Amino acid sequence: MRRLVALLLVGGTAYADPATDAAGQGVGGELGIAGGGRVTPGGLRIAGHYLYQLSDRDWFDGSASFTYGGGGAECFRDREDRFICQHGFADGKSVEISANVRRWFAPQGQFHPFARVGVGVALVDFSSDGVSGIAIPLHAGGGVHAEVSPGIAIVVQAEVELGFGAFGHGLGVEPQLGAAVLAGAEFRLQ
Amino acid sequence: MRLAIAMILTLGACQSSDVSRSLGARCDVDSECDDLCLTGEPGGFCTTSCDAAGGCDGGSLCVSAPGSTDTEHGVCEFACLTDPDCAFLGDGYTCRAAAIVGDADPGAMVCGGL
Repeated sequence: MRRLVALLLVGGTAYADPATDAAGQGVGGELGIAGGGRVTPGGLRIAGHYLYQLSDRDWFDGSASFTYGGGGAECFRDREDRFICQHGFADGKSVEISANVRRWFAPQGQFHPFARVGVGVALVDFSSDGVSGIAIPLHAGGGVHAEVSPGIAIVVQAEVELGFGAFGHGLGVEPQLGAAVLAGAEFRLQ
Repeated sequence: MRLAIAMILTLGACQSSDVSRSLGARCDVDSECDDLCLTGEPGGFCTTSCDAAGGCDGGSLCVSAPGSTDTEHGVCEFACLTDPDCAFLGDGYTCRAAAIVGDADPGAMVCGGL
């Protein structure tokens, strides 16, 4: 009986609040959909995360992501000879690394909500038009984290991206505006 | 008055953004367009092949290509009533008569080069 109680206590510790987790590090992987348009890429997004505890409530969230969309040539010169791109919601490709801070809020039962803000740098490419560039998007969003077994959690999060990008082909500096919904798993590192 | 100005500005904005790779964009070669570049038009003119069965979006008509005698196939061009309707395409465009593909009555007016 004592052994059973001890196991339950250990299990309870394993499900502990991530914000107070002494381990303080984790990794994760997510899959989802990103939406863009114009010169903001969208499509299938795969992301990896490295999490590091900064304080009781705040964690560093370093992320690397790859967005893979479709789409054909959508750029043209208007009658004033301005180069314009009108890509769709899920066009283009990008590779991005970002530095974010995740703030945990009070748990709601099994679910642990969080907010997340950060900034990234991305290489963006619309190969059908020969347009590529570098983007600096700001990220803001939030999600829910729920541990499903000791050290393993599922995460669902959504975010908006707002920033600018510098592109070649005479396009110049263009705004970046997009959104993404991702789901995946996170693993606590011992 | 304000409403009229707003409508004019809105219309102007719509006109300048009404061109696309399929119709009206400037071009030098076909690859800048979804289908064809009419290099003989001022600044080049992206258009789309069409026939009597259709193939043109709203606001455009399927007419015989400039200099073509083909009455079965043509290209899409912006419909118009008067020259100012074509001003958004830039200098050199006027509202001119053209033959609608597959129609014996040549009563169409489209924007084209001088």
